[in-house]
Amino acid sequence: MIWKLMKKEWKEFLKTGRLYVLLFVFLFFGVSSPAIAKFTPELIKSLVQGEDFQGLIIQMPLPTWKDSFLQFFKNLNQLIFFVLVLVFIGSIAEEKNKGTAQVICALGVDRKKFVLSKFIFQTISSMIFVIFSYMLVAYYTYFLFSDIDIYSSFFATILYLIYIIFVLSLSIFSSSIGSSILQAGSIFFVVFILLNILSIFPKLQPYNPITLSSLQNSYIIKGVMWSEAIRPIVSTLIISILLLINAIWHFDRKDL
Amino acid sequence: MNVIETFNLSKYFKDKRAVDDLNLEIPEGVIFGYLGPNGAGKTTTIKLLLNLIKPTKGYAIILGENITKNKNYLKKVGFLPDVPSFYNFFTAHEYLDTIADILGVNKVRIDEVLEIVELKNEKRRIGTFSRGMKQRLGIAQALLSDPEILILDEPTSALDPQGRREILDLVSSLKGEKTIFFSTHILSDVERVCDRVGIIKEGKLILNDDIEKLKKTFSKRVILVGVNEKYKLIERLKKEDWVEEISLSTDGLKIKVKDIEKAGKLIPQIISEENISLYRFELLEPTLEEIFLEVVL
Repeated sequence: MIWKLMKKEWKEFLKTGRLYVLLFVFLFFGVSSPAIAKFTPELIKSLVQGEDFQGLIIQMPLPTWKDSFLQFFKNLNQLIFFVLVLVFIGSIAEEKNKGTAQVICALGVDRKKFVLSKFIFQTISSMIFVIFSYMLVAYYTYFLFSDIDIYSSFFATILYLIYIIFVLSLSIFSSSIGSSILQAGSIFFVVFILLNILSIFPKLQPYNPITLSSLQNSYIIKGVMWSEAIRPIVSTLIISILLLINAIWHFDRKDL
Repeated sequence: MNVIETFNLSKYFKDKRAVDDLNLEIPEGVIFGYLGPNGAGKTTTIKLLLNLIKPTKGYAIILGENITKNKNYLKKVGFLPDVPSFYNFFTAHEYLDTIADILGVNKVRIDEVLEIVELKNEKRRIGTFSRGMKQRLGIAQALLSDPEILILDEPTSALDPQGRREILDLVSSLKGEKTIFFSTHILSDVERVCDRVGIIKEGKLILNDDIEKLKKTFSKRVILVGVNEKYKLIERLKKEDWVEEISLSTDGLKIKVKDIEKAGKLIPQIISEENISLYRFELLEPTLEEIFLEVVL
């Protein structure tokens, strides 16, 4: 049944154009991140060459493959993150609100499977897009800088994939609790802001999923350090599972 | 054999008893009209039967399964909600194709049900459909798995006379093939297509019987009397304690009585004593509307 429901999600993904939105976003940032890292210093230099800036000396370090990936992860954690949340936040809330969840559940569909199918579909599709975008960045980075550390950049991307599991489980949880997209979005961002505030406490950092997003940069700058990543990875996965269980539990008891 | 049977089925929302100790019996193959004013608890009953909300107490047996313990019966139940909801970006065929996937229904059935509701050649997206077309698509979806029971929640309430007639014809055509639970507040619809009726008021079932039996039961208390001096007879009958209500109609006087036996003997006697000419004396069958108003008000 989960497979059949995932097929429904896929058809919806295609028909609503969400697939093309994500495809464009990941494609754009996959190609533009290395280019921005490579050409920004040259662009700045060319801007200050006019008469108004005579005598001004700008010294900028030569960009490397690291700048390309730092730019990529910055985009992943900001714009792409928001696009993903916007695309998926209404997945359950919207169906409850419109009454389509009622129709599907009246067919005898298990509510647990209804929630799980959405989570699995969103996770798989997001992961495919992230990996696709990573491959583009890796290719163009090597093309523009003739240098790349596949090991560090790949494992930094793995950290992002784990982080995405958390983001999607929080989105599913918010969508299951909220009765509208607005409510679901508010729940999501309140929890997200709270976790960001908690990340200022050093003792809590190893257990906070937000830590994974800063670790991605560390992996690029300093290389892979598994000892620092184990605790955030384990706690992120545990929190994600708890959020998912809670989302299922809540939806299972919800009056439709 | 009853295909739907409820046992003290109840749903309370905070201080409101939406459905209160409901005991329904719906035999196989009938079209059951579930009547009640707005807010009486009709949709809540349907949601309870479909496991969309959990009962506060009580249970129901549908197709031999206790709905609080099992949901397998839902595979044999088709449902049309009061406001049909669809994925508006699909065409009718794409939508039913998705539902057929979930239900594991043979895809041949899609064209069959679209043919029944006359949407087979419709290629536009559901979002552009009129309310009547959506209602018909909802019925097609409900019929897709060829269910044993059809639950229709207010299927004609928002339709124009043409759309209403189409839906009622469709429901009538399924008579005998399926058990249909037809919730509505439109009495004439029930009178036209249903065999059996249940009337709910403020969450409580106040009547549940065959329409013909109900009419016979209620007819025993209304007599149509045609006389030449209507007002003289009215004045005389007003004095009798077994007379409940007298109304004037084009055919004569409609006299509602407490005791039909007594009235049958005394009305002709009074007419004779008063020297009035009698040209009509008939036991009346009430309309469903009259029965409804009598039990609900």
